[in-house]
Amino acid sequence: MKNSLWKKLVGARRAEFLSARDLLQRAAAVSVLFLLAHLAGLREFTSALNGTTGSAAVDAKLGAFLAAVYILLYLAFVILVPVLVLAAAILAIGRRFIQKEKSSPANTL
Amino acid sequence: MKTRTQKILAGLIVLAVAFLVWLPCLHLLFTRPAAHFRSLTGLSPVARQLAARHLQLWTDPSRLQAELDKMRASNAEWDFMGRSFLVWSLANLALRDPASKPLYLQTMDLIIGETLRLEKQEGMYHFLMPYARERHYLAQPAHSLFLDGEIALMLAARRMVEEKPEYKPLLTERVDAIVEHFRNSPHLLLESYPDEGWMFDHCVALDAIKLADCLDGSDHSALIHDWLAMARRKLTDPRTGLLISSFTADGITLDGPEGSSIWMVAHSLQLLDEDFARDQYERARKELGEITLGFGYAHEWPKSWKGQADVDSGPIIPGFEISAGSSGMAFIGAASFGDDRFLVPLAATLEFTGFPARSHGRLKYCASNQVGDAALLYAATLGPLWQKAKVQSKP
Repeated sequence: MKNSLWKKLVGARRAEFLSARDLLQRAAAVSVLFLLAHLAGLREFTSALNGTTGSAAVDAKLGAFLAAVYILLYLAFVILVPVLVLAAAILAIGRRFIQKEKSSPANTL
Repeated sequence: MKTRTQKILAGLIVLAVAFLVWLPCLHLLFTRPAAHFRSLTGLSPVARQLAARHLQLWTDPSRLQAELDKMRASNAEWDFMGRSFLVWSLANLALRDPASKPLYLQTMDLIIGETLRLEKQEGMYHFLMPYARERHYLAQPAHSLFLDGEIALMLAARRMVEEKPEYKPLLTERVDAIVEHFRNSPHLLLESYPDEGWMFDHCVALDAIKLADCLDGSDHSALIHDWLAMARRKLTDPRTGLLISSFTADGITLDGPEGSSIWMVAHSLQLLDEDFARDQYERARKELGEITLGFGYAHEWPKSWKGQADVDSGPIIPGFEISAGSSGMAFIGAASFGDDRFLVPLAATLEFTGFPARSHGRLKYCASNQVGDAALLYAATLGPLWQKAKVQSKP
């Protein structure tokens, strides 16, 4: 069981660079990281944008760092993830189109 | 068979295409109808949720103190202005939502009482930035129009919703003092800080005087008329036609037109001179308002004026020159003049970059603070108070 999960993960890593699968894996990774940051409550620290700290429990520098981490992951989630998914879709459609072209009777003659 | 380089190149081109397709669509994730932010009657979802959050804050002293402490560490003015915007919002909420009027009035009284107590106990410097102590006010005894005007408007707004006899002498005393200071000022300009007056504070103070006239039958229309005539003549930036933001007691310009000031000024002027107000709004919209890819925002300064980012402008995002302070206050301008074509993109930007957090029917914007959220609540609710004053002041 453990072995097969490991194989799947290793297999996932082996997707060809900038292939549709690779783009989807990257989108998934960013989404998971953003979800983790969100669930950890880092959104509160974005108050650093107006010069106040999100929590009295951490000092201003750490608060600003956590805010920066959250903001970068958020921007990646709302801008980069859709771009990666869209690009993956375009590549997949393109590949299918090319394969169809290759296997069409006109090309086999 | 494609080479690896060709495949990477194809991937990059597809990524670029996807980016160009997605970017103009991004705003659709955050765009809501105007009624989501502000409705003509009743309460919009944003107004209801922001109000719920503020009402919760003011019934939980430890949470409130933590919030105020965070703001005071940056700027003591925000503590005070957060109170003012909330009281003015609650007045409009009470007029929009009569069923909850007792709760709104109770909260207004709590805020007003606490603010007056702090002013009396700690002195006016409690709500001012530290540089207020560095010089002497030219007019003695020292008064800050910033405090006097906003407190007067709080008292007047409360009484416009429902009379509270204890507040009548407090409002009269405050208004009489402001009027007296105007009469003693050779240029009709009063200080908020030593030898420093603000357009924002003058307009708010004149609104309070106008409401006091409505409530108590006094007549300061000549003072208001003279002041507006003086402002048009002496306090207008010749390049843009916009009112400047700050000036010395002699009327020398300190800060030119600023977004963090002019949107609220245009709103305040609506009660004093509708045509002048609309003219200022339209000029501000032209000089400062922007919409890019469906997102609305505002600059702090017009192109013809160079300024430094400060506590009022908030952070300025370079390139687009987006000012957090001006963009936040632009909601008040757009809402006041029913400019949904600007309000909807502004609200999209707020949803995108304000980091809204909703829970249990309450809303706060994490990137904002209590004063920012209170100003947004004011934008989402304004209208009925000014409307009532206009109806009451008609001969």
